[in-house]
Amino acid sequence: MMKADVSEILVAREVSKTYFDPTFGENVHALDGISLSIRAHEFVSVIGPSGCGKSTFLRIVAGLDRPTGGEIRVSGNKVTGPGADRGMVFQEYALLPWKTTQANVEFGLRLKGVSRKERARISRRFIELVGLSGFENKYPHQLSGGMRQRAAVARVLANNPTVLLMDEPFAAVDAMTRQRLQEELTVITATERTTVLFVTHAIDEAVFLSDRVIALSGRPGRIVADVDIDLPRPRQWSELVRDPRFQHYRDLLTAKIERTGAHVEAHP
Amino acid sequence: MTTTLARARWTPLGMTWKLARELFPFAVGVIAWQLLSSLNIWPPVLFPSPLEVLRAFIADVGSGTLLVNLGVSLKSLGLGFLVGAVIAVPLGYLMGLNRASRDFFDPLVNLLQAIPGLAWIPFAILWFGLGQGAVTFIIVMSVFFPVLHNLLTGIRTVQPVLIEAVQTLGARRMDVITHVIFPATLPNLMTGVRLGIAFGFRSLVGGEMIASTDGIGYAIFNAQQYFQSARIVVGMLAIGITWLIMDRFILRPIELRTTMRWGLMRDGLENT
Ligand SMILES: Nc1ncnc2c1ncn2[C@@H]1O[C@H](COP(=O)(O)OP(=O)(O)OP(=O)(O)O)[C@@H](O)[C@H]1O
Ligand SMILES: [Mg+2]
Repeated sequence: MMKADVSEILVAREVSKTYFDPTFGENVHALDGISLSIRAHEFVSVIGPSGCGKSTFLRIVAGLDRPTGGEIRVSGNKVTGPGADRGMVFQEYALLPWKTTQANVEFGLRLKGVSRKERARISRRFIELVGLSGFENKYPHQLSGGMRQRAAVARVLANNPTVLLMDEPFAAVDAMTRQRLQEELTVITATERTTVLFVTHAIDEAVFLSDRVIALSGRPGRIVADVDIDLPRPRQWSELVRDPRFQHYRDLLTAKIERTGAHVEAHP
Repeated sequence: MTTTLARARWTPLGMTWKLARELFPFAVGVIAWQLLSSLNIWPPVLFPSPLEVLRAFIADVGSGTLLVNLGVSLKSLGLGFLVGAVIAVPLGYLMGLNRASRDFFDPLVNLLQAIPGLAWIPFAILWFGLGQGAVTFIIVMSVFFPVLHNLLTGIRTVQPVLIEAVQTLGARRMDVITHVIFPATLPNLMTGVRLGIAFGFRSLVGGEMIASTDGIGYAIFNAQQYFQSARIVVGMLAIGITWLIMDRFILRPIELRTTMRWGLMRDGLENT
């Protein structure tokens, strides 16, 4: 195999996944030969129609699912299971209900054996970064949906993962909150220089957030487009929606996906 | 709950009002009972009046028999519960977390849980003789299954996404067990404990009637032998009231503290 470029933090090689569905006794071919590589500090989104295997791909990267073919390497190491280098933000927030915001954010650090004082310092920084100062001692059920997702983002960022994985993290919040969270996320990942792999089925969201958008076809998911998004940062919805380049990327990706015969939402 | 309501509860007026509301159903019950017995349809031995029961209660408290019997019963209950839970809780986590032990124990547990605690009375007497040993054994058998069953349900219903989330934060198997499985199953465990004690209470009285020579159940049985109907009722009420006090001041607060603080059960329990 070719020596991997050191700046290529995440490399997927011919990743395939076939599920066996016991109720129908048939195989579901979810992913087909996905190869891609992501460089350090890159924000990459994966889009595609519902059921094309986006979540499956992300879960394989996270080590929560096994591929039936191919492999994933992160910093050169083959992925064999979940690990702190690949922190994931889920659509369902997945905060621990019995821990306060601060305890949730400090959780990964605690597992690593970071001292209490150091944990408090780091968590304070990330809680502030996601705009949750003052809510350190609240439990998740005392937070709104948007606040919960902020806490979930802070929890993963505080753990300093090599790659931040996000699976439709803003799908469950209202449209206005979503736009604000998207804007905040671009600022946070730019300042933290986070490498992000972001899954969504909303083309607008992908273009808005990303340096690069990868489009998958309908099931089994194959890469049909890999587009660099050359838009200035920081990005703001109020400006971007009027930017012809934004519209160009959106139309381009919509066309690419539609050509595969699958339906996809154009709006977030 | 809003803070205003919570505060109102701590004013003297609020407290009195709450107490009155809680006691009201019991007051209605006693009045209905008194009315029914003053109709004189049945002889007092078949239907003792509240006043007779009160007299019997005062006599039994005065002679100390009520408290002695209650003490004996609670001791069996406590010991039986402890033994039952000490076996059920580790077994529950073992079965819930380990496939092989689940496959092994599941059929056995399933078979045994169909057998009521009281069905063990004959063997309890044969093995332990008449007395609190036999009663304790029956309670163990009654407490064991609700605790185990609720715990297993709790482990089965832990949200997989919580486990996956902490795994991507670096949690290993032991971390998942201590930081996710244990806290997530605590509410079910508390429900199991509460149900276990309730089941234990039932078996306690039945067990003592047949397999013992003291305790509240025996006192009820004994009173019947001498046609002391009022004392039967005293015994029955002693059981009911002891349960209410225990449930109200020990079991519910513990259950509440875990579930409410974590928002696992938003409403329903707070005002009960
Ligand atoms: N555990 C599983 N067992 C069997 N089939 C599965 C399983 N998980 C996913 N699939 C199937 O694999 C395909 C891809 O699923 P996946 O969840 O990755 O899609 P997705 O692109 O994330 O869709 P969405 O946009 O709706 O979230 C689907 O057809 C789904 O039914
Ligand atoms: Mg999905």
